[in-house]
Amino acid sequence: MNKIRKKRLVSVLALLSTSFLGVFLILSALNSNLDYFYTPSELIDIEIPQNKRVKLGGMVEKNSVVRDGTNITFNITDYQETISVSYDGVVPDLFKEGSGIVAYGKIIGNKLVAENIFAKHDENYMPPNIEISS
Amino acid sequence: MIGEVSHFFSILASGLFFLSFVFSTRTYNGNHNLELLVSRVFSYGFSFILISFLLYVWLAIQSDFSIRYIAEHSNKDLPIFYKISSIWSAHEGSMFLWILFLAGWSQLFNYSLSKNDLLKAPAIGVLAFIIFGFLIFLLFTSNPFETILPIAPINGADINPVLQDPALVIHPPFLYLGYVGFVIAFAYNTAFLIKGDMQINWESVIRPWSLAAWILLTIGISLGSWWAYYELGWGGYWFWDPVENVALMPWLAGTALIHSLYVSSRSKVLRGWTILLSISVFSLSLFGAFIVRSGIIDSVHAFANDPQRGLYLLAFSAVLITSSLTFYVYRLPQLISKNLVVAKSKESFLTINNILFAAAIFAVMLGVLYPLIFDYLYDERISVGPPYYNTIFAPLTFLASAFLVFSVGSLWQRSSKLFYLNSFLSMSILSAFLITMASVYFYQEYQWWFIGGIFSGFLILIRYFFLIADSFMKKNYFNKSSATAHIGLGILILATSLNAALSYEKIINIKPGETYKGDAYEFYLIDFDLINEPNYDSVQAKFSVKDINSPNEIFFMFPEKRKYFIRGQITSESAIKITPLKDIYMTLGDQLDNGYWVVNIQYNFLIRWIWIAAAIMCLGGFAALMERLRKS
Repeated sequence: MNKIRKKRLVSVLALLSTSFLGVFLILSALNSNLDYFYTPSELIDIEIPQNKRVKLGGMVEKNSVVRDGTNITFNITDYQETISVSYDGVVPDLFKEGSGIVAYGKIIGNKLVAENIFAKHDENYMPPNIEISS
Repeated sequence: MIGEVSHFFSILASGLFFLSFVFSTRTYNGNHNLELLVSRVFSYGFSFILISFLLYVWLAIQSDFSIRYIAEHSNKDLPIFYKISSIWSAHEGSMFLWILFLAGWSQLFNYSLSKNDLLKAPAIGVLAFIIFGFLIFLLFTSNPFETILPIAPINGADINPVLQDPALVIHPPFLYLGYVGFVIAFAYNTAFLIKGDMQINWESVIRPWSLAAWILLTIGISLGSWWAYYELGWGGYWFWDPVENVALMPWLAGTALIHSLYVSSRSKVLRGWTILLSISVFSLSLFGAFIVRSGIIDSVHAFANDPQRGLYLLAFSAVLITSSLTFYVYRLPQLISKNLVVAKSKESFLTINNILFAAAIFAVMLGVLYPLIFDYLYDERISVGPPYYNTIFAPLTFLASAFLVFSVGSLWQRSSKLFYLNSFLSMSILSAFLITMASVYFYQEYQWWFIGGIFSGFLILIRYFFLIADSFMKKNYFNKSSATAHIGLGILILATSLNAALSYEKIINIKPGETYKGDAYEFYLIDFDLINEPNYDSVQAKFSVKDINSPNEIFFMFPEKRKYFIRGQITSESAIKITPLKDIYMTLGDQLDNGYWVVNIQYNFLIRWIWIAAAIMCLGGFAALMERLRKS
């Protein structure tokens, strides 16, 4: 093997191994940062490890909103099951009883302690899966 | 009536673009008259689409609600510039604008390229084919000219209030101009691959076009980020939303392209890679259009869901990309340089950064597509959150900054000695290290991304400071546009790192007459005003805010909540107090039964500097563009 070929081989091998390493690192970062999306009926059926963040989507149940200082609790429903959510902060403008929202946070006890509440910027928004199940 | 005329001109334009494309396929044997015809027919096509669009703007200004699209997205009571911007507030009209820009760039290119350019006819042919394909898409799947007959509604349905904003009037046009601007590089390089004449110096032709597109895309993305910050009430500048990500990918690829073009115009080593990049940038723009317009991914910005549109876009993009890639693979053996990249030369560092950019694009692409793959494989819904992107982007940015700094003092095609004791590089590393130590100690912040961010940011700034100081002393030449853009990058890295480390928020309960005492400010809620505007009612809080450290300084803040009449939509208008180092950002929440209000107060550090940094980067790009244009 001549010198140039050897050099080329080394650089190709180096490139390949670094790209494998890179892809491996990216995939592992991806795997540890996935947020699973559930509806209340799905969430009730499965065991969620404590401290694992999830997204819970559904409608805000009528007459379930209770405010206490900066804290707000309400139920998210898919018209079959409901799950109670508590959140400390300002809810989005489109948040109201009966509107579709997604709450992001940890399950503690049988309650979702939300870190973020999302409402879609569209008044006709339905969280995914609800149209099918309602 | 004018609606039909406008529609008719669009149809005629699509015919002309098709004709131009057909003629271009017959120009192989160098028929000069036919080549002129390709260009001429193309110009007519552009004039027709321009006329069609201007008529459409006229219809929007006149509030002609017999046009369904205008009736659904505009309103009689809107000020005139929102009537115009309502055209690009939803899918059909924004697609129309997209195509107009596509044709506009192409016509500018057609006009400015010498008629003796060997690649002119095939390049115009490729452009004509692309425009034709998108016009067909517009006319058959997303027709903005569709009418409501026989009776037009009295008034329109209005545009979404959060879109009634000056920044949003200009954000989409800039973004689209940037997206589609890369079509020139795509078309010219595809023409180059078709012809296969390796002597043609395409680098110098497409460099100014790619630079211009990059500047506009940077402006477009920054405007979007700025708008989201003050309008959505979340107080952030970037959310890693799928639609932001699909704009970021062409930007990353475009950034890699303008650097790679710089290398391959100097030495031909990266030619093959540069062509691949030029194909990728436009392909990623098409991918973005597909993601946003097919509704396949759930996002704040996504347009209404329509599988038929998605399918067409996917098929058309696939045709464009695969045919271009086929020519690429066919010509690849001729493109690969016989020379290896010399280790520790300027081009070697640029090559490494090209790879890092490719890794970043791959990571974003994976993050965008993974929820789809996961749904398909496991039938479970997931989303990929900001932590993923932060974990990937922070180290990639630090590495890329390091290689950028290495490349500053290095030489073309020669191995450079960088690490001797009193080199500028060593001095920069040492100073950046000391500043980082001091910052970590001062802020008591030990996160790896903070340390890395401060170090990289200062490393870049100090290295360029040395470069500029040295050049002034010795009266040497230095690349001013590159220095400007990279100083912008250094500021951007510092601003984002400090913003992430220092920003915080407080959620409070307060009622009129009460004072909330924060760490550095006292907030006194005076009272509420009810404001009646023609298209909304608003509740506005009046706060007087006192700086605890300098009690004479009092300012007022007015966060409000609006209710728009036509859609009944409620929006929050944040109050922002801008100071040099931070923003105080106040959002009004809900009123409680006992008369108290929920108020969110955020302290966003250095957030202005993020957009200032983007502006400096654009300025650098603009200087480079001017330099290119002067030379040619």
